[in-house]
Amino acid sequence: MTIGSLTKKTLVQLSVIIVMAVNLIPLIIALSTSLRDPNNNANPLQLFSEISFASYRTAFERMHFPQALMNSIILTGISVIVVVLLAAMAAYPMARLQSKWSKFLYLFFLSGLVVPSQMVLIPIVQMINSLHIPTSQYTPILMFITCSLPFSTFLYTGFIRSGVPEEVEEAAHIDGAGLFRRFWLVVFPLLLPVTVSVIITQGVWIWNDYFFNMIFISRAAESPLPLAMLGFLGDQQNPTQWNVLFAACFLCALPLLVAFLFLQKYFVGGMTVGAVKG
Amino acid sequence: MNSTVMKKTMYFFAIPALVFYLIFWIFPILRLFQYSITDYNGFSQAYNYIGLDNYKALFNGDTLGISVKNTLIYTLVTVVLGNIIGLALALLLNMKIRGKGIYRSLAYIPTLFSAIVVGFIWSYVYMPDYGMISSFLDKFGINDDNLNFLGSYSSALYAIIFVEIWKNIGTTMIIFLAGLQTVPNDLLEAGKMDGCGPWRLLKHVKLPLLATAITINVTLSLINGLKAFDFPFIMTNGGPGTSTNTLIYSIYKMAFTEQLFGKASALGVISFALIIVLTAAFVIRMNKREVSA
Amino acid sequence: MKSVKTMGLAILVFCFVLLSACGSNNGASNATNTPAATDSANDSGNKEEEAASSEPITLTMMLSGNKASEGEDFELETLPRLVKEKFPNITLEVQKLPDDQYNTSVRTKLAAGQGPDIFLVFPKNAAGGVIDFAKAGFTADLSDLTFWDNIGTGAKDDMSYEGKPYAVAKGLDYLGVYYNKEMLEQVGVTEFPKDWASFLEACQKLKDAGITPIVLGDKDPWVIQFGMYPIAANVVYPDEMDFDVKVQNGEKSLNDPKWVKTISMYKELYDKGYVVKNSLGVGSAQASQLFIDGKAAMTFTGTWDYASMTSKGAAEFTRGFDSLPGNEAGKPTFVSAATAAGYGINAKSNNLDAAKEILNYLFDGESDLFKAFVAANSSISVYKDVPLINELFKTVNDNYQTNGNSVYFSNQMWPAGVSDVMQSKFAEIIGGQKATPEDVAKAMDEKFQELWKNK
Repeated sequence: MTIGSLTKKTLVQLSVIIVMAVNLIPLIIALSTSLRDPNNNANPLQLFSEISFASYRTAFERMHFPQALMNSIILTGISVIVVVLLAAMAAYPMARLQSKWSKFLYLFFLSGLVVPSQMVLIPIVQMINSLHIPTSQYTPILMFITCSLPFSTFLYTGFIRSGVPEEVEEAAHIDGAGLFRRFWLVVFPLLLPVTVSVIITQGVWIWNDYFFNMIFISRAAESPLPLAMLGFLGDQQNPTQWNVLFAACFLCALPLLVAFLFLQKYFVGGMTVGAVKG
Repeated sequence: MNSTVMKKTMYFFAIPALVFYLIFWIFPILRLFQYSITDYNGFSQAYNYIGLDNYKALFNGDTLGISVKNTLIYTLVTVVLGNIIGLALALLLNMKIRGKGIYRSLAYIPTLFSAIVVGFIWSYVYMPDYGMISSFLDKFGINDDNLNFLGSYSSALYAIIFVEIWKNIGTTMIIFLAGLQTVPNDLLEAGKMDGCGPWRLLKHVKLPLLATAITINVTLSLINGLKAFDFPFIMTNGGPGTSTNTLIYSIYKMAFTEQLFGKASALGVISFALIIVLTAAFVIRMNKREVSA
Repeated sequence: MKSVKTMGLAILVFCFVLLSACGSNNGASNATNTPAATDSANDSGNKEEEAASSEPITLTMMLSGNKASEGEDFELETLPRLVKEKFPNITLEVQKLPDDQYNTSVRTKLAAGQGPDIFLVFPKNAAGGVIDFAKAGFTADLSDLTFWDNIGTGAKDDMSYEGKPYAVAKGLDYLGVYYNKEMLEQVGVTEFPKDWASFLEACQKLKDAGITPIVLGDKDPWVIQFGMYPIAANVVYPDEMDFDVKVQNGEKSLNDPKWVKTISMYKELYDKGYVVKNSLGVGSAQASQLFIDGKAAMTFTGTWDYASMTSKGAAEFTRGFDSLPGNEAGKPTFVSAATAAGYGINAKSNNLDAAKEILNYLFDGESDLFKAFVAANSSISVYKDVPLINELFKTVNDNYQTNGNSVYFSNQMWPAGVSDVMQSKFAEIIGGQKATPEDVAKAMDEKFQELWKNK
């Protein structure tokens, strides 16, 4: 190894570290601030000068953390499961059939991606009302599912087309399996990689969404984490409240961070399955 | 594949998803077209059809121009800068360096935070006098009295664009990284043998093979940029003045503050057309490139 | 192929059924829902005693604002607890959202016919104002509540539509200046200025002494109203109290020299550097913090901010509160005073009577709940015989009570949206853009014309 390649290596390493630092500094400072006592307003740049969980305790109580966490898990869990089932099924014909209909369906679903939900909010709510669906803790799930369909069907269709050979199905067909069994017993299990990808991409936005929750949920006890966070909006920019505010921020992100810690290989890998082959 | 195996009855599999999609997405969107020619205020039951007045008012007023301009700037900068930084980061992390797995994970972390949380944290970063950047500059003795990222007309829009890029860089990078994995090593070796420098290697070998990843990343950031709402909503209230009013933020304001739901729907229809045209134009162009590449 | 066609047809038919269903529902829902709601209201009215004591019911309540950062929050905690003590079968679920989110959420819910049972209603025409809600049939007529005799007539009128009250105001709010007494004394101002010229003079003295005279959190655009309305109260209205009525009738317009003058006066504070630099980057909460930390001598806001303005900061000092004197020397200062937001009841609520019971209890004038309400409420009480609680407001309150020189907040007579234009145009002045006071007035007028014809 020559000296030139060695310095080049250090240079690369160094630039990576700098980029990462810039990327993470806001989060690190927020983390250090959140670990202070609520009344400690010393210069936030003195990192980790005090380690206290008092701010976390305050934030934990103010946002009713256990309850909000539970609500978030329920909302995200149900939505993601239904999305996986519906999107995988819908993608099946779009990937396998070559007709105009199939192509139309594919584009029809995909085009839904471009419409922002803030725009159609009122008509959606009217629709829910005219179908006599009561607004409850679970109403946002309908919208989470709907809004997840475009991207999920896109991922699934791409994956089935390129990743699931038709021959496997033929074999099952010769064995006399019907369409339904063939899909659920043969095709669906093969979709695991892209299913992980769907769960992660859709799970993250559903977990973090505040907009639909804000519209449909009207009881504090039913609020998931992001909605509980909104209650801190007034504290924003108020130096004396920062420690608690940042503690709340991290509490809100904590479950996803923990999931990420354990499943990072799937996060990093899963994102890419559908994307690159799509 | 013969049609006895791939039967048309397969279409029934799409019905459950289609039902959700039609009821909760497509029909509400169609209602928007209907409301766009009324004076509906968004909550009372009575409204009148007023023809194209809403559209006329929009084309005669400032709002449309300002928000289209802001949205286009927002989109252009996020697409260009976001993808360049994402690609650069991916190229760096694709080299043989120590601990690149950890770096990849770290780079992805901001993506996990909710827009509200990100908005809170960055409001602090940008705050004049007491915020993170100001404190840093103070430390180095640099005068920062006139530093006012979110409060100045010239910088507010770019300040929130930067936050958008920061939040999405992880996703962009990961998709590029995955694309780079598909670049076969022997092709790179062959390139090196032919005496290609790193730049030419990137331009002639890597980039063409990254076409799919680029299409996906650019399309996603394009759509994201055109739909921008969260950060103007959380961080600036569209201000100062109207300098961070994006299309979707303007629609939201019009519908819920001014209670002009009809006019907001008309603006919605216009934005819808704009988003579709821009996205479609881009996707078609990219598809052509991909095939020829 | 055939099955595909039938399926396509089926979907198409399904679509049309749906479309027509929601199309017709739109017009019909109002007609069918309202009588049903009143029916059930009558029913439960007859069996009120039973209902109030036996069946467990849950009422929802939605409010705007933030949860108190210390101690028990009156609306989120005290109220549900005391209601439960009095009516064991009633559970009150309260949710608070920040103002903007509250407005979006409550209106969308009401439009869908699924609004909360009790919610915050603003006076007159303001965004989320009683007139809009009552006209659309969302708020219930509250004429039969038992305590109206104890509520000031002004407050009742401001919450009325066509002569009937539709919400109960929490009190009366003044807009004014919170100031740091020691800082003013330090530059020789021992008495708070009583007219515009001496106000400017005081600001100049502060500025010369190296003190920031005024801190404002203009990053939150609504803060701009806090200076604008008190000036307008002394410029636009004193000799023409019906100015806004004339504007509504089309006899006058907001593009009036008096409004241009108001805006120019406010602009002066920025031009002369009396307002903290970079105010457009400062949020309202941060502005309060700067004030209580002793970093500026004054800030503009209303009585509702009592708690945060008097909480302990980095500096110890005596607070003062007075009206922003937009008047010329020798003329009386008009107080900018308006009815505060209050509680309204959803006309389509299934628990109309229970909701009314709760309001009757809350405003009975003697219970622990009422006392807790009075103690927690920083607005000036409009309830009979409740004394002024916060000494800080005495000067302004005396002026208001004895002279009666007061003007409401202008936006209460404007359709929602006009004040937003005023704010964003005025922000251009603050931000050094090319806008002039004339431009601001013109933009306000245009928005008013556009929105008013929709009323």
